[in-house]
Amino acid sequence: MADVATADQLDDTVVSEPLDLVRLSLSERVFVKLKGDRELRGRLHGYDLHCNLVLSDVEETIYSLDPETEELKTVVKQSEMLFVRGDAVVLISPPQRT
Amino acid sequence: MSLPQALDASALPSIIFTTAAQLVDCVDKRLLVILRDGRKLIGILRSFDQYANLVLQDTVERIVVDSLYNDQPRGVYIIRGENVVLVGQIDPEKESSPSMTEVSLDEIYAAQQKESDERKRKEEVKTGKLIDLGFSIEPQVEDLY
Amino acid sequence: MLFFSFYKTLIDEVVIVELKNDMSVRGTLKSVDQFLNIKLDDISVLDEIKYPHLSSVKNIFIRGSVVRYVHLPAAVVDTTLLEDASRKEAAAQAAKAGGR
Repeated sequence: MADVATADQLDDTVVSEPLDLVRLSLSERVFVKLKGDRELRGRLHGYDLHCNLVLSDVEETIYSLDPETEELKTVVKQSEMLFVRGDAVVLISPPQRT
Repeated sequence: MSLPQALDASALPSIIFTTAAQLVDCVDKRLLVILRDGRKLIGILRSFDQYANLVLQDTVERIVVDSLYNDQPRGVYIIRGENVVLVGQIDPEKESSPSMTEVSLDEIYAAQQKESDERKRKEEVKTGKLIDLGFSIEPQVEDLY
Repeated sequence: MLFFSFYKTLIDEVVIVELKNDMSVRGTLKSVDQFLNIKLDDISVLDEIKYPHLSSVKNIFIRGSVVRYVHLPAAVVDTTLLEDASRKEAAAQAAKAGGR
């Protein structure tokens, strides 16, 4: 087991656990789905094992109900640098690779 | 502290646990505590621990609906930390807020009921709309946290 | 402990904390602990009309678990350093798991 960990450290492109995929997404634009009908698109700069994140140039999309028309609407907000608490994170999607 | 040092976890020899982010400054002061269920308590902080468990003395519960409020004397509270949303230190100079009106208990209960009915109705409409769009909906819980 | 250390580099910066109850508070970051509890000075609530009861409050303690986002000033975040620190933390975690 110790050998595996060392091998991973030597070759940091190896994906042996889910969070390795997040590590490989560092400094790339990612898609994050959150609890409460929220989605984020932004550049990933930091993460930890709780899925706490730091993203830059973030576009947040919130799906909610318009108080007047009672129709579903989407609100889009921008943030230049955002810390996201991990307990709200549902999924982190790495950038599309071709 | 320089940034590289601060970010390198191994450079932290034995982590200094600044437990509960210095609530110690707030001891013996009048505080506003907001709980997870939305309740607002105002009292004097007498004790706390690393989980933000709190002891409040001479507590009043302030029921707030929009700009209306009513204070109910409650006494001593021991609050379990996980239920705490925030603790605010009240500035005695700004204590009496002109933007808020004190009303009777009956009035505030009526306003509170109206607000909660309205919220429930909106939630039902939204859930219905989402189901129409093919979403699967978790059972709605009161707790936002 | 990565984000605990990260937050310590942001002390005295003005941030906006968005809570899971949708309330947003702007203030100067004064203190942080290992649970990412946050203490803010000179606060103002963004939607003052919706939350009038906080108008007489100047300093607040926010329990880490109720935070949804913290909006940070981009200029004070060294993104390269944070990325390296994230990789290091991941390696440290992997080493810990491997050594078990």
